[in-house]
Amino acid sequence: MFLVPRLRTLPAFLLSLFAVVLLAGPVSAQGHEDAQDVVHEEELDALHHSADGFYLDFTPGPKVQLPRIFVVRGEDGGLGFKFFGSTTAAVESGEFVAGAAHGEDPEAHGAPDDHGEAASTESAEAHADPLEAGIVPAHGEIVADLSFTRHTIFMMLAALMLLIIFLPLGAKYRKGIGRTSAPKGRLQNAMEALVIYVREEIAKPTMGDKYAKYMPYLLSAFFFILFGNLLGLFPFGATMTSNIAVTAVLAGFTFVVTQFAGTKDYWGHIFNPPGVPFLVKFIMVPIEFLGIFTKPFALAIRLFANMTAGHLVILSLIGLIFSFGQIFGDAVGWGTSLAAVPMTVFVYCLELLIAFIQAYVFTILSALFIGMAAAEHEHHGHDDHHDQTAHEKAVQVSSGMSTDGNGQIYHEPEKTVGTEAVLALAPA
Amino acid sequence: MDPASLGYLGAGLGAGLVALGAGLGIGRLAASALEGAARQPEASGDLRTTMIIAAALIEGVALFGLVICIILATA
Repeated sequence: MFLVPRLRTLPAFLLSLFAVVLLAGPVSAQGHEDAQDVVHEEELDALHHSADGFYLDFTPGPKVQLPRIFVVRGEDGGLGFKFFGSTTAAVESGEFVAGAAHGEDPEAHGAPDDHGEAASTESAEAHADPLEAGIVPAHGEIVADLSFTRHTIFMMLAALMLLIIFLPLGAKYRKGIGRTSAPKGRLQNAMEALVIYVREEIAKPTMGDKYAKYMPYLLSAFFFILFGNLLGLFPFGATMTSNIAVTAVLAGFTFVVTQFAGTKDYWGHIFNPPGVPFLVKFIMVPIEFLGIFTKPFALAIRLFANMTAGHLVILSLIGLIFSFGQIFGDAVGWGTSLAAVPMTVFVYCLELLIAFIQAYVFTILSALFIGMAAAEHEHHGHDDHHDQTAHEKAVQVSSGMSTDGNGQIYHEPEKTVGTEAVLALAPA
Repeated sequence: MDPASLGYLGAGLGAGLVALGAGLGIGRLAASALEGAARQPEASGDLRTTMIIAAALIEGVALFGLVICIILATA
């Protein structure tokens, strides 16, 4: 059962790799030709689609622009708030002009070494669409851009969904439904299963007795990331977790919680590793110190990379149709779609799986880091006597006997017998 | 040769090597964990947790390599 999807993943993976390579070639080549051509063909820009933006894209419907909020430093040096209903309104007010605010993809329009020329053509093009190129104030400079973006909207949506789903559920438990009786209704049953999964499979094994204190954070992180991932799979949706800023803030929370959970032992292991020769400490301490920061850093990058990659693979597979169609003619394009569309559906299902897996991985790693920081290493000496090898245990279990940790032998009839135990029992 | 294009070449090669290394590492890890779970099904829960943690650490190293590639490609 496990092997079948794995075998299928390989061709999908190879094909998607292939697709990325094939798409990258024609699209970049086409980009250079387009710069000379007057007629602009519509490009499928995979990176752009998964990136953030100042509008909600309901293609083929309208683009809904989001409010823009700026903190602007005027030419006289005074700070001021600017609020506009949309990007278009900001440009129409005359206070802002379209332009490359943060040079989103300079290499799409020209080689990176002729920045001057590229920038000028870009701003000329940008006049057509301030939504894509960004806007800069006509006078003064932007201190902070507090505008709503697609990802902010979906972040708020995920947070709102958490509130709508879990506040009533929490009230239910407070009343006793689910505590003194069975959970009522589909929603409560579904959510309780997930919550209990987080508690039993993530929090308890990694944090031991102290799990209860960190459950609220772990559950919030798990469901927020899960909802964020899943919202990105809806039509017209955007994946807020494919934004490095969002994942970095989430990882930052884990970082802060970890530091506050840190015990004396945690800091001791970092700044004065026990049982290490004095000179080695000069190597160990910087490494351990860096380790504090690399853990959440990897956490942020992992979530970001996984969520971005899935969307890029889907877009590459779709783009394959158009690449082939353009190179070999329309008929081949239509033919490719017969293979590419089912493959996309497959990758989509894989993404559904990844949405759950990444939420799980983020939560378990957070729990692990917090648990490691919160652990007290006081019982170094006294757990020696229940240090049995797996083999010894297996032999005892297979003969129906087991020790309860204090050396006392008791009978334990129902237990799965490992292969080793069977081998040990078999007559030589 | 243009230094920028050499940078792109390096980034691309680096990303490939990173993927290769991480893939090998996680593949071996998963194979061993699967073998262990097949040998002792009752330990599969613990094995899964340990496997995910180790996989995350391997992935972490791979991600650092990837970040360097991204920096190479965008700088």
